[in-house]
Amino acid sequence: MTQYVTRRAVLAAGVASLAGCLGRGPVGGAVNPSSTTPDDGTGLDGEPPKGNPGGPPTAQDRLPLPGEPSSLRDRAVSGGPPKDGIPSIDSPAFVATDEASDWIDPSDPVFGLATGTETKAYPQSILVWHEICNDVVDGTPVSVTYCPLTGTAMGFARGETTFGVSGRLVNNNLIMYDRATETWWPQVLATAIPGPWNESPPIRSLREFRVVWTTWERWSTVHPHTKVLSRETGFAQRYGSDPYGSYNPRRGYYEPDSTPLFVSWGEDDRLPPKTVVIGTRAADGAAAFEKNALREGRRIEGNRGGSQLVATYDPHLDTGYVYENPSRAQFEVRDDTFVAESEDSFTAAELPLERTLAFDAMWFAWSGFYPETTLYD
Amino acid sequence: MTDHDQARIEYSESGIYTKTVAALAVAASRRDSRAVFLVSGSVYLVVYLVTVGDLSTLSGGWEPFTIRVAEDLSRVFARVGFFRFAAIAVVSIGPVVYLFSPGNALVAILLAGLVAGNVALTYLGFVQPRACGLESSTGVLGGIPALLSGAACCGPTILLVFGVQAGSTLITGFQLLVPVAVLLLLGSLLIVGQQVDPSLL
Repeated sequence: MTQYVTRRAVLAAGVASLAGCLGRGPVGGAVNPSSTTPDDGTGLDGEPPKGNPGGPPTAQDRLPLPGEPSSLRDRAVSGGPPKDGIPSIDSPAFVATDEASDWIDPSDPVFGLATGTETKAYPQSILVWHEICNDVVDGTPVSVTYCPLTGTAMGFARGETTFGVSGRLVNNNLIMYDRATETWWPQVLATAIPGPWNESPPIRSLREFRVVWTTWERWSTVHPHTKVLSRETGFAQRYGSDPYGSYNPRRGYYEPDSTPLFVSWGEDDRLPPKTVVIGTRAADGAAAFEKNALREGRRIEGNRGGSQLVATYDPHLDTGYVYENPSRAQFEVRDDTFVAESEDSFTAAELPLERTLAFDAMWFAWSGFYPETTLYD
Repeated sequence: MTDHDQARIEYSESGIYTKTVAALAVAASRRDSRAVFLVSGSVYLVVYLVTVGDLSTLSGGWEPFTIRVAEDLSRVFARVGFFRFAAIAVVSIGPVVYLFSPGNALVAILLAGLVAGNVALTYLGFVQPRACGLESSTGVLGGIPALLSGAACCGPTILLVFGVQAGSTLITGFQLLVPVAVLLLLGSLLIVGQQVDPSLL
């Protein structure tokens, strides 16, 4: 497994640009309070892969996989529900902040998405029952996805198709499938793998964009005019309850020391299994920044497969951003800003560097998928 | 030979199925055993619906009587887990929330009926002049596996409660909990049924 990652990294090095920052598409993750520009999206207007007509648009470069694609299929397990047993939301409705505040607790997690013209929040309490919301943002068809077992919220371009929940898991992580080609797409890997409904799909990676994991209080303060995914999903579901535990406060499955529900691929015990890291991966490797360490340090220098990185903490949204920093530019932390040697100040989300896609994940999931990851804690 | 003796001979020579049906007929004809049937069946029904997540309470909340129906009623046939089916309505009343899933309700009624039958016949076995023995009461334990079949979106709830990691074998085993419970309850019903002698009641 390890050798495979290494070999891929070498093969990819010649063409390596980060799959997480191939350009700036119309949809991006959350930004700082004043920004209205997209950030580390991959660009969502790609072409469907050859031999996969009607499938979702894919990125130019392929993300690393922890083994041969066929071996991942063999390691997939049933989570219990059949295909679409966990129903994706395909016709989402949205409500205003004042209406949403009637039923979202300020400390409840939401997954935020801010673009040039649209700002949306997807409450964890809703997505825990659906895992995928097929939406249209700024006219672009996207899917906002959430896997409760790995604590990962991620956004993908979907093109003309929609994503559904296969009912299978790899390393406890949601395997999505696209309804046009029935290809399996493990969420964190964001890359096609063979599955029973499509035995030999082109092994390509999805175009992905940042979705920010924060709380309702923080998101609605930064984005007071945000739209919020409505509980009127068309399904009969009790959205006030979480079958796995609670994030407010953290209990049950979400406790840092609790055991993953299914067999975990991660054997790295440097952190308790459910510890939250902000991970970034690309063709050159993977790196993870422990979120608590980033909270405390506000800025952490790092390395991903030889690429110099710097991670910054945004106290407004309680999230982190990761930048490529080949010139090893230095930024001094002063209050909520990052001050360059030129004395120019920047927010955590707007350093004058190339931002690379990063997202929250449980440590066991991250280290299981990317066993060679560097860790900064 | 009296008619009573003749009836007892015919009963003793009848099959296990006939004896159980006869015992159930007696249970249905007596007010006390009907009460036992209804109470035990209702208790099991509620416990089952709670364990599979269809019946719950609001934490500190209170809602007026409301019914919210799903837009896509074809979801009534959607399977969401092992012997678990999608809900098509949310019924709220006071502190109680009930996700109405016709499929789950049918499974619950079947299991509750079998458990109640076992309890009612066990009760008759105790109250008849020649008690049939305590061992027959263990039949209701057959209803326990189904109570473990509740599942979260992914994975069995019971594993979350105990923090047990599920392998594929264990998950496969969970598929069998409801059918195993049905078989155990049917088997125990037949066993306890033949230990109830209607002529003694």
